[in-house]
Amino acid sequence: MSSTLRQENEERAWSGRDGWKILDHDVRRVDGPDKLTGRARYTHDVRLEGMLYGRLVTCPYPVAVPAMNLEVALAIDGVEVAIELDQSRNEYGATVYLGQPIAAVAARSPELAEDAVRALEVSYDRGEWAVTREQALEEDAARVGEGENLVMGQPRGDIAEVEQELEECDAIVEATYTMPVQVHASMETHGAVVEYRGGDEATVYSSSQYINAVPGSASRPLELQASQVVGIVEHMGGGFGAKLSFGVAGLVACRLAKEAGAPIHLMLTREQEFVCTGNRSGSYQWMRGGANKDGSFVALDTLIRNLGGLGRGSHPGQPYLYAPKAFYTAPGFVRTHTNASCPMRAPGRPQASFAIESIVDELSHAVGFDPLEFRKKNLPDEVYHRQLDRVAREIGWSEHPNRTGPPPPDELPEKAIGIGFGVGAWDVPGQPDCQARVQIEPDGSVTAISGSQDIGTGTRTFLAGIVAEELGLPIEAVQQKLGDTRYGPAGLSGGSLTVPSLSPAVKDAAVKAKLALFERVAPLLETTPDNLRAAGEAVYLADDPSRRLAWKAVCATLTTGLSEVGEFRAELAGSGVHGAQAARVEVDTLTGEVRVLKMVAVQDCGIPLNRLTTRSQIQGAMIGSLSYGLLEERLIDADLGLQLNPGFVDYKIAGISDMPEFVAIIDDEDTRQKVTGIGEPPVVPGQSAIANAVFNACGARVRDLPITPDKVIERIAALREE
Amino acid sequence: MKTFGISYPETVIGARAELSGPTDERDVRIIAGGQDLLGEMKDGTALPDHLVSLERIPELREVRLGGGGDDSVIGATVTVATLAGDAGIGERFPMLAEAAASIGTPQIRNLGTLGGNLCQRPRCLYYRSEAATCLTKGGSTCFAYSGLNKHNAILGGGPNYILHPSDLAPALCAYDASVEIVQPGSGLPSVKSLTLGDFFTLPSVDPEQENVLEPGELVSSVTIPDRAGWKATYLKVKARHSYDFALSAVAVALRFEGDRVADARIVLGAVAPIPWRCRSTEQLLSGEKLDEETIRAAREDALRRAKPLSQNGYKIPMTQGLLTRAFRKLAGEE
Repeated sequence: MSSTLRQENEERAWSGRDGWKILDHDVRRVDGPDKLTGRARYTHDVRLEGMLYGRLVTCPYPVAVPAMNLEVALAIDGVEVAIELDQSRNEYGATVYLGQPIAAVAARSPELAEDAVRALEVSYDRGEWAVTREQALEEDAARVGEGENLVMGQPRGDIAEVEQELEECDAIVEATYTMPVQVHASMETHGAVVEYRGGDEATVYSSSQYINAVPGSASRPLELQASQVVGIVEHMGGGFGAKLSFGVAGLVACRLAKEAGAPIHLMLTREQEFVCTGNRSGSYQWMRGGANKDGSFVALDTLIRNLGGLGRGSHPGQPYLYAPKAFYTAPGFVRTHTNASCPMRAPGRPQASFAIESIVDELSHAVGFDPLEFRKKNLPDEVYHRQLDRVAREIGWSEHPNRTGPPPPDELPEKAIGIGFGVGAWDVPGQPDCQARVQIEPDGSVTAISGSQDIGTGTRTFLAGIVAEELGLPIEAVQQKLGDTRYGPAGLSGGSLTVPSLSPAVKDAAVKAKLALFERVAPLLETTPDNLRAAGEAVYLADDPSRRLAWKAVCATLTTGLSEVGEFRAELAGSGVHGAQAARVEVDTLTGEVRVLKMVAVQDCGIPLNRLTTRSQIQGAMIGSLSYGLLEERLIDADLGLQLNPGFVDYKIAGISDMPEFVAIIDDEDTRQKVTGIGEPPVVPGQSAIANAVFNACGARVRDLPITPDKVIERIAALREE
Repeated sequence: MKTFGISYPETVIGARAELSGPTDERDVRIIAGGQDLLGEMKDGTALPDHLVSLERIPELREVRLGGGGDDSVIGATVTVATLAGDAGIGERFPMLAEAAASIGTPQIRNLGTLGGNLCQRPRCLYYRSEAATCLTKGGSTCFAYSGLNKHNAILGGGPNYILHPSDLAPALCAYDASVEIVQPGSGLPSVKSLTLGDFFTLPSVDPEQENVLEPGELVSSVTIPDRAGWKATYLKVKARHSYDFALSAVAVALRFEGDRVADARIVLGAVAPIPWRCRSTEQLLSGEKLDEETIRAAREDALRRAKPLSQNGYKIPMTQGLLTRAFRKLAGEE
């Protein structure tokens, strides 16, 4: 092996971490000022010459045959397109889910588009539906598509063994844990702006977690080839898994553009966003578990029913992360006439965590065992043991008076304090689908380019950071180009995949660009390329650092710019992370109000490319799980088939004054020299920890999320009467 | 939102004239801060043709503070933020300031007004759903009765079960306040005054109205008698602390003579279609020492007539909890 090649291989590992100036440090977002000042352009902000405003019409009922008057809408001056969307109906021409798009219009202003929607005067011939689990399981329930509404999966485990073990257990807990359907609630709704004026090319601005898939999807309704379509997402206001596919808003925008031969701006309303863009599947989990006084989790029998609307829902199966001696799990899903669930931050894991962490807590209490020790005893992966000890220390467990359980109901203080725990995991390896490019110009400017996208998670910053670290430049010296399909192939940003898939390619490109530069300038410095180093905005000789050239001087020797493409390198990407969290809550035992006072997370992640962003990501996940735990649920009236909380007044999301003290700790005992993404794992255990903390404070075990004051005070009142 | 017209009269006389204009089929409504009406217009539950804005009428923004036995008069378009933050109001009517501070978000408090808060429409999920033609919107059924009724009435319900969502109303009611109402017509305003108890009406009177306002009538101010010598507090339970409507609320005003209660006004919020005054509880407290035994008797009496629906039984222990806290707080205050 030549010395250059050896150097190349060494440099392509995440080596030299001790000497890093940018990576593994706290680095502010490079796009922070743009976002703060409003310069950052989101899809919603795109305005084009001659653009029409599109508006989708969705069916307010789950199953109905709509009738509408397109001509009246089209007669309004300024209304250019009105079309009925009659795909995906059932054999009677009826819609199959609540919120199914049934029509679309395009007009010269948003107000005219709304007038056009009203002018359609849609009437509905309503059919029979099933929108809740109970409704779908009734004997004479309306059928949701072919076959039964209840679809059972393949059971796992040994029921006979479970029964046998349960007979010998010191304590048995039987309980049902439910979680409602939650929605992604991204600040920016789904949508696209389609620049198409007839002809054979189009540019599609799309609020997308996967911009490289947009040309393929958009080309069909535009009747173009994928290669004739450019996809762009400069900035986006959240996705959380709901924006992996182009979606109905994008497809309809393209169809309207094709009809109009003019650019279309179509972003969904919040109400539409809540019913036709996917959701986190609800969950019904019945469990029967047994434990012994020595703290061993002996057996677990579980029935899982995902509530994913037309979809299957998500669930990783039980027993999630814990290892009872015997288990039996019967999975399944119940179909309803609501939109299909889709990935939402750690698909299925929060649901699995809530049930298992609740029954683990209930069992530990039933056998009189410290819930922290019970967890450690029954989690086979020892990483959790150190992480749980760490969060316990930070939350003050050893000084907590309720370690063996809440006080009796008649001794509850007005404000009761409780502590709860939970653990999480995520294990998805980087994907070999990203390229990255680094360009160095003769004037010394450097650009890092990728066709990936920054969905708000700091991708631009690590893109610049990796290149700047490699070339020995300040991060401000590296321009970033991202979110444009002309920048090359790249995968999706979901499932915590962006960092492990993209950053190896960026590192590879940066190393290649640096070595190419060394090859060019080595003769000038009268040395060999492998004797060159880049640091402190200069290139110098490894064996004689006094012989150096400033970065700009080095680049000035280039007659043409350098451009190197990097590829995914599996050895740089890690997978498989853990994570433990603890919550301290205060329960108002007079009113049932719950205030989370403090949340602590310890999260392993391999190398944190940006420690500030990593901690922010963990904290953001805790904010999310606090909100899921205490507030969020989509409400649908079963009889009327109407969604009753289609906005942020009644679909409640935690706000500033609901926030506790957050402590986000990067687990530096994880010494893997690889990178992972941590968008998903820290969102798994928080709500479970909060639920357990509420019980620990006052004895109110809330088994149906969200934990609202009405449920807590009812349980406390019931405990006081017992 | 449907296209609408808007006018900006600069005097009460001008507003009155606009509101008593030709009685064609137009849906004309008053807009003050618009914090409820704009939401209704966006949700499609209100489709006015024309709005009469009160924002340019200086006399509706006036605050005349009394004391020494004199009433205080607060204009209808005084903002919730002013009620929450004005030192003079806070000193005389701390419970009103507490109630105002518990409302919405800073943005909502900056725009929302006293009159608008009293006249806001119900928050029932069915009322707010455009597609549900419920009893409150002229339909034939109260869907909450057998549907999702966590946010519906346990007292005073029937034939529909809405809650009055106002935080200011229970507090003002407990302060024995009244509203001044300008009646439609031309020339100098004709004003009538009603106590808040008479202003709000039960659905059994008219399921489509929460108060006695007739078309074209305008709430111009609220008058609060001098409450020197009273102790009062407003307490509210919210699921979301950042901003939320009450799951339950209590407004308790007490006047002590020595260590005994001489006078009491107890009004519950978010349990009934109107601010719910507990007259028997007030009588029960009169002449009593506010010890734990009296508190228990009072909180039980206050909810004795409650008839919960399928999902709102929690309001009983929750409201009793709030009353307990309010009584303990006022008994302990110097």
